[in-house]
Amino acid sequence: MTEQSLILDTGPFRVTVRSFDRTFLDTVRFFYHDGICTDPDPLVDFDIRLVRRQGARRWVRPQVQFEIDGVRPFEPQPLENAYPVYEWGLNWCIATSAHRYLMLHAGTVAFGDDAMILSGLPGSGKSTLSAALQLRGARLLCDEFGLLVPESGRLLPMPRPIPLKNTSIEAIAAFDGSAPLGPTYPKTRKGRVRHLRPSAASVALGERAATPRWLLFPRYRAGQTADLQALDRDTALHRLALNCFNYKLLGGDAFRALCDLVDQAGCYEFVFSDLNQAVACLHGLAQGEGSHEPAE
Amino acid sequence: MNLLNEVLARPSVITHWGAREWNAFLPLARNARLLGRCRALFAAHDLADGVPQRVDDHLRGALTQTHYVQGQARRELRHVARCLAREGIQLMALKGLAYLVAGLPPSGWRNLSDIDLMVRRADIERAEQLLHTCGWVASGEHDTYDEHYYRDWMHEVPPLRHPARAVEVDVHHNLSPPVSRTQIDADKLWDAASEYTDEFGTRVFVLESADLLLHNAIHLFMNDELRGGLRDVVDFRDLYEHFDAAEAGFAERLVARATELGCGRALYYAARAAQRFAGLRTATEFDQALSRFAPSAPAAALMDRLTAAVFAPRRPGMKRDALAVQALFIRSHWIRMPPLMLIRHLAHKAFLSRRQRVAEGDLPG
Repeated sequence: MTEQSLILDTGPFRVTVRSFDRTFLDTVRFFYHDGICTDPDPLVDFDIRLVRRQGARRWVRPQVQFEIDGVRPFEPQPLENAYPVYEWGLNWCIATSAHRYLMLHAGTVAFGDDAMILSGLPGSGKSTLSAALQLRGARLLCDEFGLLVPESGRLLPMPRPIPLKNTSIEAIAAFDGSAPLGPTYPKTRKGRVRHLRPSAASVALGERAATPRWLLFPRYRAGQTADLQALDRDTALHRLALNCFNYKLLGGDAFRALCDLVDQAGCYEFVFSDLNQAVACLHGLAQGEGSHEPAE
Repeated sequence: MNLLNEVLARPSVITHWGAREWNAFLPLARNARLLGRCRALFAAHDLADGVPQRVDDHLRGALTQTHYVQGQARRELRHVARCLAREGIQLMALKGLAYLVAGLPPSGWRNLSDIDLMVRRADIERAEQLLHTCGWVASGEHDTYDEHYYRDWMHEVPPLRHPARAVEVDVHHNLSPPVSRTQIDADKLWDAASEYTDEFGTRVFVLESADLLLHNAIHLFMNDELRGGLRDVVDFRDLYEHFDAAEAGFAERLVARATELGCGRALYYAARAAQRFAGLRTATEFDQALSRFAPSAPAAALMDRLTAAVFAPRRPGMKRDALAVQALFIRSHWIRMPPLMLIRHLAHKAFLSRRQRVAEGDLPG
């Protein structure tokens, strides 16, 4: 077995991923085939290796460990979860180091160059909603990070596979029967996970920034009709600030960037359950239909 | 010498660099916590335009994080100083915190993971009690053995942390453990120290310039946290260059002070490491004066090999280097503990304690 490597371009970050595990690398190729770096001499941000744990246990219960810069910051995980371990580890690398950006914990999509931010805690449905919007033609910026450039106030894309969790998997499969889903990982630390590959169009525009126009706080509520309510800017600013990866760390720059953001974007609360209905409602918002004027 | 050492010695090498070199440099600088230092270095040498955008984003991100942590450290210092002022206990800032308080060059880029403070030996029990009264609690879990290790053998109380804040506070009463071979008269340090008052009225002492360097040297060569190694070597260089330019006869005084305090060997090792790995340039007279503190030739050669593995690894986390790190770890204990005590301590650590890793799922939020 020899180690192989792939170099991936994903938004502003370029990642080398190395592994001995063919299955894992095939999965990476499936998800990133539109984002494999073709530069013959590329400069990379993160050099990541998935190592197979040695020792007697490898025959009984093989394990894999995430390695960055020769350091292994996490406990080993079952080998079959190598791909989720990689995706999660890359998120950790970005969240703990990319302080050049204000990192919103939000799903972000764009209609042309107008961005919609879906800010929410895990379980709010932001990944599911980002996935559904992308499957109906919106450009995926990212399902987990809003990479805001503090100086310009614009969002950078990082179109990576969307990890759908538990019942979201069936919801998206039912929403679009031809959605490009990868393997199912039945037992990860975050439950059952299956990733959705981002559209080729989203990946092709992976370096094209977008301007925040709509800031939404989605909440999945079983059985509820899609409902969009204007939210005052102060509340929106407060909620968004509490849901960033590095708001405190950027201090005044973060505060000013979010003030500008809530000034230029319409702020809403959004309750939904049925995905078709939710997507239709948000398309309406993006096309300026109805009386969804931002609150003053 | 790795590429990070080369940059520190001669920053203009980057003008000849391609992707391959930057790819080797980034993990080294990230691991040594010197990304921010390198950004300042490139700027000072007018080389900022030669740094690729992708690399500069990392340098800049690291500096942002550093400035935040520095703010946290300053705030924690104000809280501690206010608490101890109730009983008029005098407080000294050490290491990274001292550079911040005194506005010395490393404050522009230096990261901190905790704050180090010193009080007089006679005040340390009272200081610890007061801090407990003001809400600080033991940081992390210490068993009775750890308590005993800190209190009876080391020169500090077990680390403290205020539950409302994230900064760990280490309170010392000397620069070296009472059981070690290097014994420093802390009164001499206090006598020479200067007091600083900030805009909030926080009053805190900082060691005088030569003592700051000697503390860096003692810490570096008695410290078991070897991962922070090269950063401290760079501090030595930055402080040395600063004081050497600012004070006439500084180098001479440094050697004399090392002799007076009995820590010449540590100064020798630190200066040598800064010359070899962090690009420090010193006058021949200083090197000659320093040579009187040198160990025997075989010991010096062995130490050169060990330090190279730690301060100039080819890649971070290399297995081959682990042995050298282990050897330095044992050495650092060897010089600060009598042999029997050391054997007991290492046996205890080997069998009873385990290192903790970051738990997966703890994304910083």
